[in-house]
Amino acid sequence: MENERGGMSAIADREWAETQLAGENRLLEMIACGRSLNDVLEALCSFVEDVIPKCDCGVYLINWSGPTFHLGAAPSLPESYTSEIEGLPVRCETAPCGIAALSRRQVIAADLETDPLWQATAYRALVLAHGLRSVWSTPIYSLSGRVLGTFCVYQRIPGSPSPRLQELIAQVTHIASIAIERALGEDDLRRSEAFLAEGERLSLTGTFSWRVATGEIMWSEQSYRTHEIDPATPVTLELIGTRVHPDDAPSFKAQLERATHDGHDFEFECRLLMHDRSVKYVRIVAHATRDRNGQTEYLGAIQDVTERRLSENALGKLRSELAHVARATSLGALTASIAHEVNQPLSGIITNASTCLRMLAADPPNVEGALETARRTIRDGERASQVITRLRALFEKKTITAEAVDLNEAMREVIALSSDELQRSRVVLRPKLSDDLAPVSGDRVQLQQVILNLLRNAVEAMGDIHDRPRLLTIRTEQDDDVVRVSVQDAGTGIEREGADRLFNAFYTTKSSGMGIGLSISRSIIENHRGRLWATPNEGPGATFSFSIPREAARVTSEQPLNGNRRSLVAGPAHALRSS
Amino acid sequence: MSTRSLVSVVDDDESVRESLPDLLKEFGFAVRAFSSAEEFLESEYVSTTRCLILDIAMPGMSGPELQRELRLREYDMPIVFITANGDATVRPRMIAQGAAECLLKPFSEAALLQALNTALASN
Repeated sequence: MENERGGMSAIADREWAETQLAGENRLLEMIACGRSLNDVLEALCSFVEDVIPKCDCGVYLINWSGPTFHLGAAPSLPESYTSEIEGLPVRCETAPCGIAALSRRQVIAADLETDPLWQATAYRALVLAHGLRSVWSTPIYSLSGRVLGTFCVYQRIPGSPSPRLQELIAQVTHIASIAIERALGEDDLRRSEAFLAEGERLSLTGTFSWRVATGEIMWSEQSYRTHEIDPATPVTLELIGTRVHPDDAPSFKAQLERATHDGHDFEFECRLLMHDRSVKYVRIVAHATRDRNGQTEYLGAIQDVTERRLSENALGKLRSELAHVARATSLGALTASIAHEVNQPLSGIITNASTCLRMLAADPPNVEGALETARRTIRDGERASQVITRLRALFEKKTITAEAVDLNEAMREVIALSSDELQRSRVVLRPKLSDDLAPVSGDRVQLQQVILNLLRNAVEAMGDIHDRPRLLTIRTEQDDDVVRVSVQDAGTGIEREGADRLFNAFYTTKSSGMGIGLSISRSIIENHRGRLWATPNEGPGATFSFSIPREAARVTSEQPLNGNRRSLVAGPAHALRSS
Repeated sequence: MSTRSLVSVVDDDESVRESLPDLLKEFGFAVRAFSSAEEFLESEYVSTTRCLILDIAMPGMSGPELQRELRLREYDMPIVFITANGDATVRPRMIAQGAAECLLKPFSEAALLQALNTALASN
């Protein structure tokens, strides 16, 4: 080779450089195009075999967990040779490649037949048996300096590489390193993507990105799976809209509109309606990011929470049934004790009256005895009436905490408390709170119970509404001397004539509940010297409102508020819930 | 007097002890009233009582407890229970446990007479 090089002209030099450059470019292009590692390494070997006459090349990769050699590519070497290399332990004594890998330097075995260094090795026999004489083995380094494998050039004649060939070997070794690192990186990426996909599949959590400005949406496989949409379909808001449960469409739209406007993180739950009419519950959580142009891009997760939600619903149903039983039980106990207290004197009355009649009917009439039994009848009657008086006293709270209450704030607290329930019930809440609201004087907790009761009634009234948004509008307003709160639903509505009956204790249109809530609410509001009333809406649904005099317009200390039925049944929260 | 059957009333409620004996006397019975089971047990009238009108719920020994105690002492006078606490389930329960009748307060004169007739006929 040295003599070859000696005869090279400047033109040959340029041709050599051009050939080398073209070959390198072709290899780099293959890498850039994502050709497989085996393809690239085979092409790399062929390229060198074309340039160096009568040589065979091999690229061996190292798995350091062995460590062992594995065939990267050796297109011209027979299988009888390469099969020996596959799985060969990386050890110093084994072969030039082992030494090159472990000592991190190039090993040139110029003549394996004569060189005493290799005399006793099995490798020598293998190489010679395949008609090979010289082996040049060069380590392939990663960018971080790790040895990824070796590049091996075999010749059928003894010899060492010229500087020009060394240059070529260095160049292709570098290209091999790029190809191998890229393949390893892709493997890692594929593995972590596979992990992620498996994680998404197992946790039923898909991911998505959403560029608000362009409407560009990307879904992970799991997101497609959750929505039961073919992964080849481009995702658009319209496409998602076709999956959202019609009942949830208004609140879904409202959530997206808000996200589009304010660009804040969001989190909500909604239902999806599948082709087979099955319903899925999904929880959507998104984090807002800004790109270089300040445009919002949401990155988020869509979790299928159907199973959890269904069991929660079952639990909730159980819980409300339990609460109903508890209410019924305590009401039953109350009824029993009232019955006992009243039955005793009633029994006396009937017995005495019977005796009285008999005494008067006797011949001669026992007037003395009759008078006595009549007196006892009256006494027992009075006793019965005292029982009622005592009962009433039991349910009356003599004092009431009168403080200045900001109904806006009270309202916000109730809304916050109910937000979960509102969302679960697919209710779109529209608070319209007056900015300028005078405080009222009263019992904050009681007033909140009334608000909560009205809110829950409204939610329940919309429970069977599926053909329109479940809109719930809550208003606070102020007239000259009263503050007014109104809760407007879009539910089944009320009849104009029957409106007042709603406030009777034990009046209810619902299968569950005992109709106590509204009557208690009204008595609470009346104790605050206010009014509670209901009106049918112009459109669907009803509006329940109460008004209370403003604090300044009231005399507070002189006339303490009296009477509310706080202790009736199982406590105010339960009682109110049951209207 | 000896020809009249003795009906004993045991009830902690005073108005019952006042009113019921008068009515029973009008019916033609001899009557004794007691404010507790213990008082009745200690009295000399246990052995001569032909029928017992017994409140179920009383402080101290309850009506059913008195019933058991009497059976232990081998008294087998018929017992008519009365109660102000009763619901529909009480009556069959008490009758299953050996009561002649069980009346829920307030009860009518006719119901009381009927119960006494049943009780005394069974004896």
